[in-house]
Amino acid sequence: MNCEVCQLKDLEVEHFEIREVLRCILHTIVFHRALGLVRPKDVDLELFDVTYVQCGDVELEKKIDEKIEHFISWVEKHPNKKSQICLSFYEVKNKQPYWFTNKIERLYWEQWYINLNVAQHPKAHSSKSHNSKVVVDPGEEERIARRAAVEASLREVLFQIIKFVNEKKDHVPPIPNGDGVVYFPHEITIPSSSDSAFGMDMIKRMLQTGHPTMLS
Amino acid sequence: MPRSHGNHSHSDAAKMEQIITEFYTKSLHIILESRTPYVSSRNFSGEQIMSMSLSSPSSSSSSASASASASAASSVRPRPRDKWFNLALRGYPGGMENLDLWHHSNPEPMVVDVVLVPLDWDPTPNFSPTREEIVIERWVLQYDHTRKVKDNHSSGSSRRSGNTTLHNLYKKSMLLLRSLYLTVRLLPAYKVFRDLNSSAQLRTFSLAYHVSSVIEPFPRSAEAEMQRFGFTPIDTSAGRLCLSVLYRSSVLDLSSEPTPLTPQVIPDYVGSPLAEPLKRFPSLPQVGLGNHGSPSSLPFSRRHSWGFDLYRASSPSVSFSPSPSPTHSESNASISNPVSRRFPPTSLPPHPPGTSIAYKNTTSFDEYCPSPTFSPSPSPSPPIYIPGTHLSKGLLRSESAPVNIPTTRLSSLPALSNKQYLPPSPPIKNTRSGTLRTDKFTGPIQTGAAVEQLFSLGKDDNRKYFGPKISSNDSPQISFSRSSSRSLPDDFDDPEFDCPFDVDDVDMTDPGSRPGSFDQKGHISQDAAVGDLVRMLKKAPPLRPEFSNSVNVPQASGSEIWSSSIQEPCPAAQNAVSTSVTSSGPGRSKTTADALEELQGYREMKTLLLKQGSKSYT
Repeated sequence: MNCEVCQLKDLEVEHFEIREVLRCILHTIVFHRALGLVRPKDVDLELFDVTYVQCGDVELEKKIDEKIEHFISWVEKHPNKKSQICLSFYEVKNKQPYWFTNKIERLYWEQWYINLNVAQHPKAHSSKSHNSKVVVDPGEEERIARRAAVEASLREVLFQIIKFVNEKKDHVPPIPNGDGVVYFPHEITIPSSSDSAFGMDMIKRMLQTGHPTMLS
Repeated sequence: MPRSHGNHSHSDAAKMEQIITEFYTKSLHIILESRTPYVSSRNFSGEQIMSMSLSSPSSSSSSASASASASAASSVRPRPRDKWFNLALRGYPGGMENLDLWHHSNPEPMVVDVVLVPLDWDPTPNFSPTREEIVIERWVLQYDHTRKVKDNHSSGSSRRSGNTTLHNLYKKSMLLLRSLYLTVRLLPAYKVFRDLNSSAQLRTFSLAYHVSSVIEPFPRSAEAEMQRFGFTPIDTSAGRLCLSVLYRSSVLDLSSEPTPLTPQVIPDYVGSPLAEPLKRFPSLPQVGLGNHGSPSSLPFSRRHSWGFDLYRASSPSVSFSPSPSPTHSESNASISNPVSRRFPPTSLPPHPPGTSIAYKNTTSFDEYCPSPTFSPSPSPSPPIYIPGTHLSKGLLRSESAPVNIPTTRLSSLPALSNKQYLPPSPPIKNTRSGTLRTDKFTGPIQTGAAVEQLFSLGKDDNRKYFGPKISSNDSPQISFSRSSSRSLPDDFDDPEFDCPFDVDDVDMTDPGSRPGSFDQKGHISQDAAVGDLVRMLKKAPPLRPEFSNSVNVPQASGSEIWSSSIQEPCPAAQNAVSTSVTSSGPGRSKTTADALEELQGYREMKTLLLKQGSKSYT
């Protein structure tokens, strides 16, 4: 099984934008990988003039939000600039029971890396720019321009997802049977837990990206 | 999924065809759903139907059924069409089902032009020349047979490998449709659509669409403005499925810039240097309808040119206006619920696509009913893999008025009888394609024709069911058109009727010249004489002040009521006229008597004077 990896373009976001941006991206990816019967739900972002699509599944939404909260708290603790979230899809295979293990193995077939650059001033701006549309202070125009730029790059990322989904189709496993919203098993990895786990993930990724374009 | 079972009776090729057909339908649905205001997943379709049908007063009977079905439609049960590609969409844009989107013998591309249409609030929206429309998006879906991919799997003709090929095709088209679903929402035109949907205020523009099979070239300048996004083609064993979109990135500037509110139609509007925003598109692509005599209500019109070249069916497409068309079309859509309701093949077992060919006649009806959307579908309809529009060949692509007509009445009939009277589909398609070009524009006429057609059909089939059907069709449909045509003139009564009475008013100052009053008196010579006298007297300066007052009072009040802005001699409306005339009745009789009295008084005076004079002389 081949594992396709998509490195999404870097996004320069401010702290208060993390939640929306991540929601938008994660849901967009999962929507493309939810091949069960889906009843799409349009969601308009509040901060940006962007509409994205959810699968309309409450559980999934909860799960994604949870991860995002974890990530935000991690960002607060580690105000280093770059941070990465990985959304991986895998298949579960029962490994051949050899030796003493009867282990369940995850076969990753796709990984998405969301790269965020969180701007340094975390909360100072958040309250301000939320409702500063009326008051025009000197920095306002700049802020508007910045937001437009973030919106543009967010769109770019979304198109990047679309293009990736379009170009790489062969590695997607057959559609699972079942009713309701069916996703492929997936996990969202954030650098939160410990850096070592994240490093492990990086290593794993490096191993798996060795031959990414074999099938395509 | 469709190909997963029953692959014995159906060849893989047929199944593939089916998938592609459904792909056409689904992608069109996705595009239109997010470009047609009021018909989108952003709105609850049920509410929308109800409000639409409520706004058309004459369709009360149908609106009842519409609301009933609408409420039922809100249930979450997946409808047959939803199962396709596992993507459940909400509202089917009305009339979409009628499109013969693709057929293996008709390998034309599907071209969907999304256009921005300036709206002007012309009282007769249907027949005034249109203003320019601007193509802001062009979607082209093409199944290219020339690009065959020799794939080893299917040439091996092993059932298993063929099946996996199909699986692959299905999976890929599913992925493509999902990304289409998102792309449609990321393109600039979506903002226009969202604005149209969200804001309650009237806009000077709207969105419409044309579906055709011919790629009409843009002027080069216009094409230069467009950006292209191409989805990765899906290769099948028989061809290549290509979907791409050309779009304007500057849509927002266009739409946010309010088009001038001048009601006049400026013929060379686009070239006008005054129109800044439009200047950028010097030669507007007059794709689709072009300019000639096409209705200004282009949002209501759409051309399907599958096979027919320039044929235009009215469309429910986009209308943002309280004008009759949307309610009309909308109620048509709702009306058709019962139609769709009789199709759930309860008696049929859930059948795999392999067997579906046997039911083509039945299931193909679903095509022109917006069925899954609105219909409560009383019988749990199994995932029928509707064979798709390719059955209807080139014939059926009109708005579904005639078939939809059988409305409330039919729904009350038991399902079984409904099924019985159903004619085999081909004849219906013939009638439809024959009659329905512009059904909604010329409501009554077309309806009449359609009813006739239906009736002739009924002769072939089960006539006893047609009797009631026709009568029940007839009335709602006619009342539709009546109401729609009536309501507008009513609204515009005042301005229109003001002017005629300006002219009349001149006459009123000279009531004697009114033929009515004069001729009647003229019958008897004595009366005629009196009339003459009266006329003379009236033309003369008033003998008494009260006389002029009595005439003027109604006039003054009339003008006050109707239009205070209009100058005095223009009292305007019919009421004023009639009152002044009637009031002049008593006034006239009074003056006649008075005049006679006075005349006699003068005579008496004269005779007296004469007598006196003669006396003095004598």
